Amino acid sequence: MARQRWIATAAAVVAIGTGASYVIRALPPDPTPVADFSAPFVFGRFSVPQDNPLTEEAFALGRRLFYDPALSGGNDRSCATCHIQRLAFTDGLPTAAGLNGESLEFSSMSLVNLLWGQERFFWDGRALSLEQQALLPIENPQEMAQDLEELVRELKGSRQYRRMFRQAYGEVSSENIARALATFMRMLISAGSKYDRFLRGEAVLTEQEELGRKLFMAHPDTKVSLRGGNCIDCHSQFLTSGFRDGLDGFSNNGLDKDVDLPAGLMAVTGNPAHKGFFKVPTLRNIAVTAPYMHDGRLQTLEDVMDHYNGGVVVSPTLSPLILEADNAASPPGSFVGLRLTDSEKAAIIAFLHTLTDEAFLSDARFSNPLEGEL
Amino acid sequence: MKVNNEFKGLLPALFTAALISMLPAQPGAQVREESHGVVLLRGLPTLETAHSIAIVELDPEQENFGEILSEVTQPDMTHPLHHLYYSPAGRLYATGLDPVCSLAEIGLERDATGAPQVTGFECLDTQGQMVGEDIMWHSSNGTEYMFVTFMGGTGGDDGGTLGVFDPQTNAVVKVIEARPSQVGADKPYIMYPHGISAYQDRMIITSTVHPDLATGVGNALTVIDLNTLEPIQNIVVENEKPLGFPSSPVEVLFARPSMNENIKPAVLVNTMFGFETWKVPYDEASKTFGDPEVLYSGAANNTAVPLEFYGTDTELFISHALPGVVKRYDLAKLPDLVSSGPDIQAAPGAHHMIFFTSKSGRDLIAVQNNLLNLGNAADNDPTDVDFIAALNAHTITVHDLATGEQLGSVNFREKYSKGVDNLEGLFGSGFVHHH
Ligand code: HEC
Ligand code: HEC
Repeated sequence: MARQRWIATAAAVVAIGTGASYVIRALPPDPTPVADFSAPFVFGRFSVPQDNPLTEEAFALGRRLFYDPALSGGNDRSCATCHIQRLAFTDGLPTAAGLNGESLEFSSMSLVNLLWGQERFFWDGRALSLEQQALLPIENPQEMAQDLEELVRELKGSRQYRRMFRQAYGEVSSENIARALATFMRMLISAGSKYDRFLRGEAVLTEQEELGRKLFMAHPDTKVSLRGGNCIDCHSQFLTSGFRDGLDGFSNNGLDKDVDLPAGLMAVTGNPAHKGFFKVPTLRNIAVTAPYMHDGRLQTLEDVMDHYNGGVVVSPTLSPLILEADNAASPPGSFVGLRLTDSEKAAIIAFLHTLTDEAFLSDARFSNPLEGEL
Repeated sequence: MKVNNEFKGLLPALFTAALISMLPAQPGAQVREESHGVVLLRGLPTLETAHSIAIVELDPEQENFGEILSEVTQPDMTHPLHHLYYSPAGRLYATGLDPVCSLAEIGLERDATGAPQVTGFECLDTQGQMVGEDIMWHSSNGTEYMFVTFMGGTGGDDGGTLGVFDPQTNAVVKVIEARPSQVGADKPYIMYPHGISAYQDRMIITSTVHPDLATGVGNALTVIDLNTLEPIQNIVVENEKPLGFPSSPVEVLFARPSMNENIKPAVLVNTMFGFETWKVPYDEASKTFGDPEVLYSGAANNTAVPLEFYGTDTELFISHALPGVVKRYDLAKLPDLVSSGPDIQAAPGAHHMIFFTSKSGRDLIAVQNNLLNLGNAADNDPTDVDFIAALNAHTITVHDLATGEQLGSVNFREKYSKGVDNLEGLFGSGFVHHH
């Protein structure tokens, strides 16, 4: 009798317990909106998907996933293998290292201020949102070679991940992996460079940097003897990334002649007018992201300036903004380029160095959270 | 130089500024917040409201048309902020009528949803210069400065200063002052400066009216040599006197080739009490100004109190507070005023304006209709003066830019119990070029 009563009580307790935990699990998560969010007004409008607002829990989860090698099939590489914080989330290689030892077609891209600029991702713009982008490297056999179902199973096996997913979104799923990674990347805001402080009135540029800034922002006009580097025509004034509207943020900056020109944006749109168009990249932290261009062909910023100054290769889709920008009346048939003086080139490079944001490159919030746990 | 009684007893300072506001220089600029306006609202004493800076939706196609999206009040200020300007670096400034805040920098930020927010404002040290009016960023000897006209200057009957500020630190670099009583007869003077515009190394400011509207009225332009930062010449722009007192030149625009390559440089100026628009030709080679001539007579055309110049890529717009119209001209034909279409029928007090596109892509113009927001006699408002009341519709009207058709109107007095003193676009960047 007594024993039976005990059993019944235990069963009831268990029943209540399971019920309660069921209730807890079924409760919708109530994540905290990110505290103290602030972004410079001049960066412009941005929008975050309504079903994936910026929350502390999603950020913490996304950060952990970003650094966790468990996201790769061989548990040997993470997003951070190719996106290293102190290199502004690039990897220092001309093109990224593939799993079979060969290098990939493209250079790893810097991950910064992704809330603004083009709403298309990758050099050729094939991903339409960060959520859509985030799962692609995981599944790519050359990058992380991980089956998504397998990954979800693995993460469900971890108490910590179960808890973190529950707090941020609810269940462990590939959609929520993508959402969390997207949130982490949206929070990678760089707004503390010398240029930003200059814009806020907190820093003064040197004479050379100021000359470089002016040249960067000016379209040359020989008629009124205005000298310019024309950079702002594609690399926008404050963000230095490409423009947001439509496909305005993609162009051909004259790296190859027609026969060698890769498809670029044309691979996505099918439009031959987009052949060789690539995403205009941000120039923030550009001094630490060498080598340059989609295939890392240029080693230094001096090489980049030499390209724009006199090495532009003409092809049918070359940007007219580049074709027209010239600081001297050039004789017909001669090379296409800006024709800036050496000291003007050096000034633009000095300005590009003001885009380095040390605080961003060493911000503990963006560092590897697993390191502390080891 | 006495103003007649109608004007006596008004609160200090008047008639806002703002010259040409060229639209974003870059096609397809990435910010799409054109339909948000930043407004300076004036608390109305009998309605017990406080002055404020607010962001308001101005696209009639949006459900929240006319709604305030963010607002910061200035309960401690007797007089409101006066006029907003974006610096080339994208910082937002306002001049102010209250001596405690003659010039301010306004904080703007974005929250985690991307929505713009006014975070506050900081009053800047002007070294005693009062009644801030217009701001312009321009270089002198290769260095860029922020130039501000202070209609009250450092006080007195013939005061007025042009303040030169470091655009980075906001510190005063120089106070340019030259009272008629100080400099002596026939010497170039600065008095009650308001409008400001510049081309190369020549800056023009206007001599408008003493801030108390009773002590004196001006009738001339002052030319400033930007190499020396000294006044070098006055040019009188006065002809008809429909109100019986001096012409009171207000806003000025140095028309120049950078606006359109066909433009031959010349100064355009509106006279608030003369009701005219004048042209003063400029010879770039000799750096001399020709004889002023009247291009437009309000007396002959039944308009009065011409105020602002604003521009788009193709047109120049001039607001006339009475009857409340915006006239439009072909930009490429400047400095002559060649009409480019029928007037936009706004409302009494037609003053500042912004240009933007609606959600569906329609080109719009929004006009702030208020000369000086001092309340209404019908409300037993002690600050009311009939002449001014007739110039205050308290509205922002929104029109189709191509046809002028009015598509919507926000009445700030009805909706918010406040007046609307100034309107600027919230581009989120420094693309807006005044003057
Ligand atoms: C093997 C190296 C490698 C790994 C691992 C890797 N990436 Fe990348 N990443 C790249 C390369 C290369 C590109 C450019 C690829 C292209 O354009 O096709 C890129 C581009 C991106 C972009 C586009 C940025 C832009 O401005 O358009 C984002 C976002 C990104 N990666 C995020 C991630 C995330 C999140 C992970 C982990 C889930 C990850 N990457 C893992 C190499 C890598
Ligand atoms: C017509 C548009 C255009 C103009 C003008 C332009 N760029 Fe670029 N820029 C691009 C594009 C597109 C790329 C990427 C090209 C690629 O990799 O195929 C790029 C790449 C770069 C890179 C390499 C970035 C990286 O992450 O590898 C640098 C540095 C750069 N530009 C600097 C400048 C400077 C400095 C100027 C002015 C002197 C300038 N650009 C003018 C479009 C432009």
